[in-house]
Amino acid sequence: MILFILLLGLFAGVLVGLLGIGGGVVLVPALVYFLRMDQHLAQGTSLFILLPPIGLGALREYWKEGYVDLRAGILCAIGMLAGAYGGSLLAMPIPSQHLKGFFGCFLMLAAILLWRKSEIEETNTARSEANSRG
Amino acid sequence: MANELRRDVAILAIASVCGIASGLFGIGGGVLLVPLMALVLGSGQHRAQGTSLIALIPPTGILALIAYAKGGYVSWRTGLLLIPGIFVGGILGGNLAKHIQPHAMRRIFAGIMFVLGAWQAYGAWRH
Repeated sequence: MILFILLLGLFAGVLVGLLGIGGGVVLVPALVYFLRMDQHLAQGTSLFILLPPIGLGALREYWKEGYVDLRAGILCAIGMLAGAYGGSLLAMPIPSQHLKGFFGCFLMLAAILLWRKSEIEETNTARSEANSRG
Repeated sequence: MANELRRDVAILAIASVCGIASGLFGIGGGVLLVPLMALVLGSGQHRAQGTSLIALIPPTGILALIAYAKGGYVSWRTGLLLIPGIFVGGILGGNLAKHIQPHAMRRIFAGIMFVLGAWQAYGAWRH
């Protein structure tokens, strides 16, 4: 069981580094389905995992290339600190069954946004290529 | 100046929305922050991801974690076991991303996430 959890972490980590997204979105369903956790317990555990700066190694690579907007990053951190507290207060009284359903709806919404972002990237890449040529 | 202020307000608004999702669903929020920064602010792919990573370095979920811990909703042991794997896996994934097409990967991941979400919602509400 311990080995399985270690491997699950490794798998989630590969996705984090590969796609530049948080691991929680993979971890929460994995904890619910593989470790039979209740939705609230899976979410609380996921928040605990995300507490240490697990993305520091990846950030270093982005920083070297100058791909970090420090001002925006700091503003985001402030907004998220406050927002996350509000969100957790919302989550507490929701029955686990409904919370699981809402989480599912959220995943579908995030999937659509992620898909659309890919489309925008395509146009941006095409545009910047055209600019560098022009 | 006015433009910069407007941009800052937009960033704070986006971050608050991501934060609410983070606390409500126990996630980092990067999955929402990266696409929203691209869609609303027009940030490039790498810049959005790098900025999302720096926003996730401070323990932004700490207040939410305390709320969950008070409710007894944290499995500390499982969490501790998952952290080293994610850290090592993150470095592996970062290197892997250099060799494969990340755009296609993101689409595949979006597809999997949509199915996973539909399955979870169905499982929760089918009765």
